[in-house]
Amino acid sequence: MTYIELQTTTNFSFLRGASHPEELVTKAHEYGYKEIAITDRNTFAGIVRAHGAAKELNMRILPGCRLDLLDGPSLLAYPTDKNAWSRLSALLTTGNLRAEKGQCHLYRSDVYTHSAGMKFILVPPAALTPGFELDEAFRNAAAEYREAIGPNLYVAASRSYLGDDTKRLHRLSQLAGRLDMPLVATNDVHYHTPDRRQLQDILTCIREKCTIQTAGFRLYENAERHLKPTREMLRLFRQYPDAIRHTKEIAEACVFSLDMLKYVYPEELTTEGRTPQEELIKLTWEGAKGHFGDTIPPKIEATIEHELTFIEQMNYASYFLTVHDLVRYARSQNILCQGRGSAANSTVCFCLGITSVNPAKFDLLFERFLSSARNEPPDIDVDFEHERREEVIQYVYRKYGRDRAAIVATVTQERRKGAIRDVGKAMGLSVDTIERLLHSSWRSDAELYDEQRLKEQGLNPKDKHLIKVLELTTQLMGFPRQLGQHTGGFVITQGKLTELCPILNARMEDRTCIEWNKDDIDILGFLKIDVLALGMLTCIRKAFVLAKQHYGLDLTLANIPQDDPAVYEMVSHADTIGVFQIESRAQQAMLPRLRPKTFYDLVIEVAIVRPGPIQGDMVHPYLRRRDGLEPVEFPSEELRNILGKTLGVPLFQEQAMQVAIVAAGFTPSEADALRRSMATFKAQGQVTKFQEKLINGMVAKGYTREYAHRIFKQLEGFGSYGFPESHAVSFALLVYVSSWLKCYYPDVFACALLNSLPMGFYQPAQIVIDAQKHGVEVLPVDVNYSGWDHLLEPRDSGSVGTSQSPADFSVSPQPLAESSNSSRAPTASATGANPYRPLRLGFRQVGGFKEEDARLLVAGRDALDRDGSPGIIGSPGSGPCPAAYTSIPQLRDAGVSQPALERLADADAFRSLGLDRRRALWEVSALGDRPIAMFEGQPAESAYEPSVALPDMTASQHVVQDYASTSLSLKAHPVSFVREKLDLLRILRTGDLAGRHDGDFVKVAGLVLVRQQPGTASGVVFITIEDETSTANLVVFHDIFMAYRKVILQSRLLMVEGQLQIEGEVVHVIVKHCHNLSPLLRDLVTPASRDFH
Amino acid sequence: MTPGSYVALWFPHLKTCWFRLRRPALRDKPFVLAISDHGRKLIAAADPKAEAQGIFAGATVADARAIIPGIEVLDDISGLSDKLLSALAEWCIRFTPVAAVDAPDGLLLDTTGCSHLWGGDQPYLQAILTRLQARGYDVRGAMAGTIGAAWALARFGRQAVIDDPAHQRDELLRLPPAALRLEAATLDKLQKLGLVTIGHFSHMARSALRRRFGPQLLRRLDQAFGHEEEFLQPLQPVGQYEERLPCLEPIATATGISIALQRLLETLTKRLQKEGKGIREAQLKAYRLDGKVEQQKIATNRPSDNAPHLFKLFELKIEAIEPDLGIELFTLEATKLEDLSPVQEQLWAGDQGLEARPIAELLDQITGRFGSGCIRRYLPDEHHPPERSIKPAQDLNEKPAIPWRTDRPRPTILLPQPVPILVTAPVPDYPPLLFRHQGKVHQIKKADGPERIECEWWLREGPHRDYYCVEDQDGARYWLFRSGHYTGDQTKQWFLHGYFP
Repeated sequence: MTYIELQTTTNFSFLRGASHPEELVTKAHEYGYKEIAITDRNTFAGIVRAHGAAKELNMRILPGCRLDLLDGPSLLAYPTDKNAWSRLSALLTTGNLRAEKGQCHLYRSDVYTHSAGMKFILVPPAALTPGFELDEAFRNAAAEYREAIGPNLYVAASRSYLGDDTKRLHRLSQLAGRLDMPLVATNDVHYHTPDRRQLQDILTCIREKCTIQTAGFRLYENAERHLKPTREMLRLFRQYPDAIRHTKEIAEACVFSLDMLKYVYPEELTTEGRTPQEELIKLTWEGAKGHFGDTIPPKIEATIEHELTFIEQMNYASYFLTVHDLVRYARSQNILCQGRGSAANSTVCFCLGITSVNPAKFDLLFERFLSSARNEPPDIDVDFEHERREEVIQYVYRKYGRDRAAIVATVTQERRKGAIRDVGKAMGLSVDTIERLLHSSWRSDAELYDEQRLKEQGLNPKDKHLIKVLELTTQLMGFPRQLGQHTGGFVITQGKLTELCPILNARMEDRTCIEWNKDDIDILGFLKIDVLALGMLTCIRKAFVLAKQHYGLDLTLANIPQDDPAVYEMVSHADTIGVFQIESRAQQAMLPRLRPKTFYDLVIEVAIVRPGPIQGDMVHPYLRRRDGLEPVEFPSEELRNILGKTLGVPLFQEQAMQVAIVAAGFTPSEADALRRSMATFKAQGQVTKFQEKLINGMVAKGYTREYAHRIFKQLEGFGSYGFPESHAVSFALLVYVSSWLKCYYPDVFACALLNSLPMGFYQPAQIVIDAQKHGVEVLPVDVNYSGWDHLLEPRDSGSVGTSQSPADFSVSPQPLAESSNSSRAPTASATGANPYRPLRLGFRQVGGFKEEDARLLVAGRDALDRDGSPGIIGSPGSGPCPAAYTSIPQLRDAGVSQPALERLADADAFRSLGLDRRRALWEVSALGDRPIAMFEGQPAESAYEPSVALPDMTASQHVVQDYASTSLSLKAHPVSFVREKLDLLRILRTGDLAGRHDGDFVKVAGLVLVRQQPGTASGVVFITIEDETSTANLVVFHDIFMAYRKVILQSRLLMVEGQLQIEGEVVHVIVKHCHNLSPLLRDLVTPASRDFH
Repeated sequence: MTPGSYVALWFPHLKTCWFRLRRPALRDKPFVLAISDHGRKLIAAADPKAEAQGIFAGATVADARAIIPGIEVLDDISGLSDKLLSALAEWCIRFTPVAAVDAPDGLLLDTTGCSHLWGGDQPYLQAILTRLQARGYDVRGAMAGTIGAAWALARFGRQAVIDDPAHQRDELLRLPPAALRLEAATLDKLQKLGLVTIGHFSHMARSALRRRFGPQLLRRLDQAFGHEEEFLQPLQPVGQYEERLPCLEPIATATGISIALQRLLETLTKRLQKEGKGIREAQLKAYRLDGKVEQQKIATNRPSDNAPHLFKLFELKIEAIEPDLGIELFTLEATKLEDLSPVQEQLWAGDQGLEARPIAELLDQITGRFGSGCIRRYLPDEHHPPERSIKPAQDLNEKPAIPWRTDRPRPTILLPQPVPILVTAPVPDYPPLLFRHQGKVHQIKKADGPERIECEWWLREGPHRDYYCVEDQDGARYWLFRSGHYTGDQTKQWFLHGYFP
C-alpha cells in the first residue's frame, strides 16, 4: 500500500513549521515517497520552493493549503486541476485583502463558494471531551461541511501519541461512517525529523511571546509530528487500512501541478489591432527615426533587426511594450526615468526610450541582456524620480487593476542577530546576556560564535543552556520570518493574477503584493518589471524646471550639450560636490588622477571606484597604463578585442565573462554562472570553484599560469561588487548631466539638490558653501521671502534678501575664496555682475518646522498681497514682493502655530520685520494670550506691556544658533571666530594647504565633518575637517588612531599636526598628532550653551 | 510667612557611589551604568572618573567604549535611585522628623528648630554632610530659608548656609535659571532669549513672564524667594495602622521585647476590633541605639484580631531580634489588613474545611515553628512531565492559575519517584501484558495508551516516556510507563508512576 503525506506545515507557516520546504521534500525522497502535499496555513508562500526541490528529485508536490477559518474547524484543501487552483488562490486573496498584512480572514461561506474541483480534509480537534466524545460543535460543523462540500470531503485521522489515539480514531471513524465522509490518515507534519522538536518549541514561544519555561501546554508534549516512513504509517493505521488507501485516492485525483501555471503577458498595449510584435516593430522604428533621423546607420539597423527577431522568437514583445508603456506614462507626467542595468545593452530599449545608452556610440552586448542560452525572462530595471515613483506604481495598479498587477514579495529571513535575539528571549536569557551574545558572534553568518569571544564577554562557553541557545540559533538562521514587498518589482498578467497566486495587502498603504519572491517567479517563468527609485533623477528634474523658469531653457536628459570640455575640466578638479556618483571622497581622490576627458572616461570612473576593482587591484595598473607609465600589453589578440577599451585591465562584469569564454573556454552559461557567483557575496565559495577551471583553461590555451592567476584574482575582486558596463554607462549619463548643470547653472543645481535631500553624501551646509564658492548668492530663510522649498529669486529683485534692519547685527556673507570657475558661467557679463540667481533658503531647512505650517504661512502672505497691504517698511528695492508680513500676530492670524513660529524665530527668519531671533522669540512667546471670542481682534495685553531689554547676541552666538536651527549659517563660519587664536598657534587655513609643498609639516584645524573607517582600509581612518576657507582631508593610520582615539572621537573642532601629501591636486594630511580644540568653540557661546560641545 | 529652615541635599553620583560601595573592585576604575532602550544601550549614570573623560549619562555605551575601550559597563537597576533615596531619607530621620525624597537625586529636610542640638546651622549641616560622605556618598548640601533656595544653592551656589534673607536673595539672583527647578523647554527658551541668570528676569513684569513662560516660572520664583509657601511630602507618613512605643531606657532583653510587643499588640488589635478588621500581615520594627533597625514579620492564613494568637506567632521570632546595645523605639504596623467577617458562633461545629479558624491558627503555628513547606497543598502547573505538572500552593487560599487538566487521564496518587517494575510487553509500543510489583504479578486486563511525553529538553535531555493506563485482574488501575523506545535489542525499563481510584 502506498501512503502519501497530505498534511505538512513548512516554515512558511511562520513560527509553526520547523523545517524548510526543501528539507521536507528531501526527507520524503529519502523515505521513498513519490508525492507529498504542502499545506501551509492560508498561504502558498512555500510551495514554489518545494516544487522546485521536488522537480530535481523527480517527485511531485501536491499543492495545497490549510484553511484556518474564523468560524469553523480548519480544512485542508487540494486543487484537482488548474481551475480549482485559481479558485483556491482567489479564496486566499479574498481572505488576505480583508485583513491586515500577515493575516487572512476566511469564513465557511467563502469556502463553500470556491469549493468546486477541490478535495478537502477536515481537521478534527486535538482532544476528545472528558466524556470521550468528539466536541459537539465539531460534529455539527462536520455535518454542515459535508452538506455543502459533498463527497469531496474527507476527515483527517492522526496518531500523535496523545494517549487517547485509539478512542479518537474510533470516534472519527464512527463520524466518518455516519456522514459518509471517508477517513484519511495524515501525520500533521511540522518538521522533517524529530530533532526539530526543540526548534518547534522555540518557534511556539516566539509566536506566543513567552519563554520556554513558561510556555506550558502551548508546547506539543512529544515529538511525533515529524515525517514518518511509509512502513511506520502503515503500522500505526493497521486497523484503518482505508485511511491509508484514501491518501492515494486524493493524490490521484489531484493531477494539478505548478508546472501547469502559464504566465501570459498583458496584451492590451497594442493599437489598431496590431499584434504585440507588430506594435513593437512599429514603435522601435519610430523611435529609431526619432534618434537617428531618416537615415538609420546600417549597423544600428542590423542590430535592431537582430534583436526584434530574437524577441519574436522568444515571444517577449509584450514585455517590452509593458515597460515602454510605463516609461511613456512617466514622460507624460514629466517624471524623469531611465533604464539601468543590463537592459541598456539593447538597441530596442534605446529606441523605445527605456534606456539612454546610444548604440551608435557604444558597443552594446545584447547577449548580456538576453540570450537563448540562459532561457530566462528579460529583466528590465527602470529608475524613476524617488519622490514621484509612487505615482508610477499607482499608475500600474490603475491601468492593470489590482487583480492583475502586484508587487513581488521578498522573504525576510532570520539573520544572525534576529535569530540570537529570538532564541535568546524564548530561552529566557536576560536582555543583557543576549546583548553580550550578539557581541561575541562574528560578522559573517557562517561562523556563529567563537569561544574566546564568548569568554571575553563573560559568558561560559561550556554552559549547556548557552550551547543549546547557539545550536538552535544556527537552526533558526535562514528561516523565513515574514513576507515583505520587493523594492519595486511588479508582476503584471493578462488574466487575473489571483488565478495564479494569492494577493495580499502590503504594510504600505495602497500597495498589494503577491506571496512569491523573485526566485519563485523565476522558477515559474513570470515576468517582472522593476520600478525603482533614484534620488538624482528627482534632483535633475527639479533642476530642469528651474532652468525653464529662470533661464527659459528646455532641457532634457537627451539635449544637454555633450562632451563639453568645461564640464570635464570641472570634474577633473574634483569639483563634484552633489554630482551623481562621483561625489564621494574616494571618487574625488580618483578624479584628478584619472582626469576624465571623454564620456567613456566617466563610465570608467563610475566603475573603477568600487570595492570590486579596488580589491581586485585593478585601479593602479589601469592608472599606470593610462599615464603611460606601463606599456599597454595584451597577451593575445583575442583579449585585445575584449580588454582594449580598458587598456588591458578588466573593469566590467561583461569583460570578466568574455575573458572566461574566450580565454578559458567557458560556455556562455558557465560564464553566466561565474557572473552570478561573483554578484552575490553569499556564494563566495562558488567563485573559488571556478578558479581551477579558469586557470587550467587559460593555461591550456597558451597563457602563462601567472597571468591566469592575475586575471582570476581580478575577477574574484568582483566577488563583492562589480558593475556591468551597460549599468556604468547608464549611470555615467546621469553623472554627465548633473555635472553639466553644476558647471553652468550652479544656482539651479544647488537649489534642486537641496530640494531633493536627503540623498548623496553631503549635508546642506556643504552644498551651500559649495554654491557660494561657485558664485551663487545664498540668502537666509525669511518669513517674507521663503517658501517650503528652496527658491531661486528673480534677478531683477536685486538685493531684496539682504535686508537687515539697522539695529541688527549683520554679517556680510563670508568672503570665500574667489571662484576661479565663475568665468564658466554662460551669461557672465564683462561688468562682473553676478550672472546667477540668488538662492533663497526655504523653510524645509528649519529644524522641526512642518510643511503644513509653511503652507499656511505662504497662503497668508499671498492673501496679504491680494488685500493690498503695504510692503515691508524700509525694504530696499521693493521687487515682486509688494505685500508682506509686518508683524508677528499677522503670521499667527494666518494660522501658523506658535511652536512653528518659535522655530522660525530660532532660525532668525524675522529679519525682514526688523527683528533678530531673540527679539522675535520674545514677541512670539507672548502670542499665547490671544484675545478670543468677544475680544477677538482687539490688541492683546502684551501689546501694551513695557518694553524689555534683552541682552544682545554676539555674532558667534548667532552663528551657533543658526547651526542649531538650520544646520548651516550664512553669517560666518564658526571657525572664523577663533581664527585669531588659531593664528597664534600657527595653525594654517585649510585653503592654504594646496600652496604648500609635498612633505611639509603643517598644523591645521577645522570642524569635523566626516569620520570613516572603511572596511577595506586596514584600520585607516579618514577624516574631513572644514574651516572658513575650505576642507582638508586627513589620513589617520591605525596606531595614531589608537593613540588619539578619544581626541578624534570627541572633538568637534579638531586640530592636527602632520605631514602634507600632495599628488597633483589631491592633498592629504598624514596625521601625526591630534588635539581637541572644542573648548574654543564653547567660549563662543558664553556663558552656558548646550549646542556646541 | 514664618521663616523656616530647610536643607537640600544633592547626590550627583548617587547610583555610581552605591555601586562602588558594593563592589570594591570598581574603586579605581571608570565605569557606567547602562540601560537598554530600543535595542541600544544607553548610559544611565557615569561615575566621576568616567565623567572626567567626557562620558555622561544619555550617551550610548558604544560611544563610551569608543572613548574608554575597556570601560566597565554594569546594568542599571531600575528604581534604584528611589530605593536609595528612601533609605537615605529614612536615615536622615535622626536629624529631623520631616525628611522627603526629592527625586531623582536629592533629599529635602525640614530642619526648622533642629539645628540647636548640633550647636548651630553650620555645624548641623556639616554633621549631616560629613556623615553621609563617611558612608561613601558624594553629596552637596545647602541650608536656606526656603526649599527653593536651598535646592538652588545645593546645586549651583557657592555658599552652604544662608540665614540672612537679603543675602539669600542676592545669591539667588546670580544663579542660572536651572536653579529654579524648571522644565527643560522653559530653560531652553530662557537660554535662547539670553536670560541666563535669575537676576536677568526676576525684575520683569509678572504679566510679561506669565504670558511667555506660564505660571510655573512665577511659582518657582516665588517659592525660592519665599513669597509662596511650599510643603514637603515627608517620606514616612505615619502608618495608618501603626503603633509606636518609645522606651525611656533602652531594652536589651527578650522579656523586655515580649512586654513591649504585647502592649503594642493589645492597642493595635483593640483599634482593629472597633473597625472590624483583622491582620493578615504585621511588622515589628525595633530601632536600635546604633541606628540599625531590626524587623520581624508575621503573616496569617486568615485575618485575625486575636492578640494572643498574634503574639504566639511573634513570640517564635523574638529571639531572632538582636538588641545589641539596646532598643529605643518599637513600632508595630499592620501591613496587610482584611475585613474580618464575623463568623457566627455555630450551634454545632460542622466541617468547615479551610475556613475553620482553629485550622488556620494551627497552620499558622506549625508554619511558624517548623518553617513553611512542611505541610503542602498542591496546585496544577503548566508542564507536560507529570512530576512538574503540580506545584505546592503558597498559602491556604491560593487559587489555581489554570484548571486541573481533564483532557488527559492522570492518577489520583502520583508517586514522588517512579518505581521500577518488571513487565512483559510486545514491541514496539503496545501495552504490557503483565507486570510484577512488590512480588505480586498483575495480569493486565485492560489498557489504554500510549501517551508519549517528552522531557523538558531545556532542563535535561533524556528518553521520552510512553504512559499507559492499565487495569489488572483485581480491577485495580495503575499508571505505568516505559522509558524510551524499543530500538534493536535494548530492553527498556518500565516504571509504576501512580494509582487510579
